[in-house]
Amino acid sequence: MRCEDVHPFLADYLTGVAPAAVADHLRTCASCATEAAALRETWQRLGELPADRPDTPAMRSRFDALLAEHERRVSGVPRQVHAGPAGLRQTPVWRGRFVVQAGLAAAATLVLGVVLGRQTARPAAPDPQLAELRQELRDMRQMVTLSLMQQQSASERLKGVSWTGQIDQPGNEVVTALLDTLMHDPNVNVRLASVDALRRFASRDAVRRGAVDALPKQSSPMVQIALVDFLIEESGRESAATLRGLADDPMVDATVRARAQWGLQHVGM
Amino acid sequence: MTDEDLMRAVRDGDLPQLGVLFDRYHVPLFDFLSRMIGNAAAAEDLVQDVFVRILKYRATYRDEGRFETWLFRIARNARADYFRTRPRSEPLGGEALERPSPGAGPARQLEEERERQRLRCALLRLREDKRELIVLARYRGMKLDQIAALLDVDVGTVKVRLHRAVRELRDIFLGLSDEASSCDVKTSTRSLQTT
Repeated sequence: MRCEDVHPFLADYLTGVAPAAVADHLRTCASCATEAAALRETWQRLGELPADRPDTPAMRSRFDALLAEHERRVSGVPRQVHAGPAGLRQTPVWRGRFVVQAGLAAAATLVLGVVLGRQTARPAAPDPQLAELRQELRDMRQMVTLSLMQQQSASERLKGVSWTGQIDQPGNEVVTALLDTLMHDPNVNVRLASVDALRRFASRDAVRRGAVDALPKQSSPMVQIALVDFLIEESGRESAATLRGLADDPMVDATVRARAQWGLQHVGM
Repeated sequence: MTDEDLMRAVRDGDLPQLGVLFDRYHVPLFDFLSRMIGNAAAAEDLVQDVFVRILKYRATYRDEGRFETWLFRIARNARADYFRTRPRSEPLGGEALERPSPGAGPARQLEEERERQRLRCALLRLREDKRELIVLARYRGMKLDQIAALLDVDVGTVKVRLHRAVRELRDIFLGLSDEASSCDVKTSTRSLQTT
């Protein structure tokens, strides 16, 4: 075996499965033996680098919340606001100053939810106090949601985006926050979730314009495809010019161009 | 149940089975991602990202090959998106390694810790695709043919590139001074193959 023939097998040598011919060559060639020894030493040092340890309980808690939220969205069942300690135990581990603010807001939201639940159990009658309580609950949910959407953790921002679906008659701040998330969030899953969340507000001109503006600025083909689908469903022919631009742009991902082209056919252009 | 059985069940609507896969794989995923990006907190977020993508795209799971290969393909994409949205060479700061060898004196412990930090920095300075080969082979314990399937290249290519990656890692390691305290994570738009 020649030296140049040995090199492709040095990776096998490192992982412990090199052919016998390699070992034979290394016994007779000082140069290759020196390189192999140096590589082996580096390989062994790599094995001594300790691993970071994940916070498994916190990660499992976040995963459980993710799964529960996904199942809820798939089934179309509104989230139940649970009273008392059980509800609070559902919340994920939050960090820093937000822990105090959101914890107080969440606790107040739960208490209001309990009060409203008891109120609505009685036969309905116009009650200004009830209306005021409902408004306070909406405001608090909105505050918690908007706070979540500003968090450093992508998981928490994702939760914030999904919570917008639970706010009854959300204010313009929520729509603005969703559009801002679509344009600027660094995490592709959060941006994808914002496209889904914005469907609820698709009748608003600002939302359709925001989707059109966001489309060419997206780096992720998945988000671009989600926006193409959104525009086809919500804007129809109005989105034709944007889809045409995307379909004709050679710098755009081929799958996205194909989807835009399909979209144009779908809207009859 | 095998991983493949569990994922088929998830694909077919039995979503709680994904929890079993989470229990089996969140640590290996975290280890892969944290060694690739050098940031444990971000790695935890990326693990969550991976499972979000699994839920969203579970219908695309095919009964071909190993579940682990499909899973790490998703993890690679999640990691690639992470780098796409961060500035190049953003210093993350090497996290202090605090595990000196038992029985060694203080001076030797300090020296060992410095060497581990240098090697850790050298690994983070290695170009992303080369670092990935080392992480998959050394820490994930993936066989070279499995890495080849993941990266969609032939196994001969993996062998040659892994050899070169380790050699280059050694060169970087030997060239780093003891004063290198922050590690610039090397990112690259080039990879062996993106799926």
